[in-house]
Amino acid sequence: MKTAMRFAHVFALSGLMLISGVATAPAQETAAPKNPSEIVTTHSFVSLDPVPRGKEFQAAIVVKIATGYHMNSHKPSDSYLIPTTLTPQLPSGFKMAEAVYPAGRDEKFPFSPDKPLNVYSGSVTFRLRLTAEDSAALGAATIPITLRYQACNMSACLPPVKVPVSLQLQVAAAGASSHAAHPEIFTAKPTS
Amino acid sequence: MNRAHTAFLMAVAILVVLVSFSGCKGVSPSAGAGTKPAALPDEPDVTFKDLQGKDVTLASFKGKVVLVNFWGTWCEPCRGEIPILIALQEKYSSKGFTLLGAATNDEEKTVDAFIHNTQFNVGGQQMTMNYPIVMGTDDISTKFGGLLGMPTSFLITRDGKIAKRYIGSLNENQIVKDVESQL
Repeated sequence: MKTAMRFAHVFALSGLMLISGVATAPAQETAAPKNPSEIVTTHSFVSLDPVPRGKEFQAAIVVKIATGYHMNSHKPSDSYLIPTTLTPQLPSGFKMAEAVYPAGRDEKFPFSPDKPLNVYSGSVTFRLRLTAEDSAALGAATIPITLRYQACNMSACLPPVKVPVSLQLQVAAAGASSHAAHPEIFTAKPTS
Repeated sequence: MNRAHTAFLMAVAILVVLVSFSGCKGVSPSAGAGTKPAALPDEPDVTFKDLQGKDVTLASFKGKVVLVNFWGTWCEPCRGEIPILIALQEKYSSKGFTLLGAATNDEEKTVDAFIHNTQFNVGGQQMTMNYPIVMGTDDISTKFGGLLGMPTSFLITRDGKIAKRYIGSLNENQIVKDVESQL
């Protein structure tokens, strides 16, 4: 009797699980990309704390791309493809020397079996070389940055999007003591 | 009736429901497989603009089977399936079928250059896009129930109703079968 009871419970549970699968996973949704906010997450870091006026520092934007997704690199393989870019909106008193984009990886996909695409996947770190000039306001500062990318999975793409990223830092007087921050990011070789 | 019998009867009832469900839906996990979307309008009332800015209504295609393909020049999977779309147009346009490519998140001049200059290998033959191209917009996407990704295609019956939606790259065998079933 106990065996029959257990069988009936397992049978019922299996049925519920199967029904759940049928009801929640219609075919067209399996190919659909996730919500854009679930695909890419960003974190920003500053190489010096605080940043003395007149001294160059770096910002790093670490972008994590969900498994199964990729985004075009900064130099995509085709002129029609949308490159990943970082555009800082520099407040008064800041200047940018360079934006450093890591090289992408050439990968083939089911929708492009013959032509590899130059993409980022996994985790990718972008860097900006910046300077707080003598006119930069002392104290807390925020540098807004726009990350533009266009992501795809193995069979579908999301429209190109612009995501705001915020860089928080402290500006100190010229010659003020400061220490290197986040060496694990800023001493590492740029990777994609 | 003891507890074991009650549980067993519940399980049988659940199985009956399950079989009913699976019999109603041709569910397949493959990308690009199409199903009749439950939450979409039956007959979208949509007016596109062509590349010259002229209105093109979906209703003007009534009487034809239409495959509305939302795509973008920037979308590699969209470009990857264009040879399939060209072949569909080539084979079925004389039988009451047409493709309608809706370029989305693109500019007219970019699309115009792309459709005239890009050659596709269609069964060993180099061809350009051979079907009407219009511009898609967010408003139009919304009238189709919203786009979850690109490419997304909608198979429209001769009387203007959505028969199936396909998200992601089309499966060639499946779309040929579906188009033929509407002709």
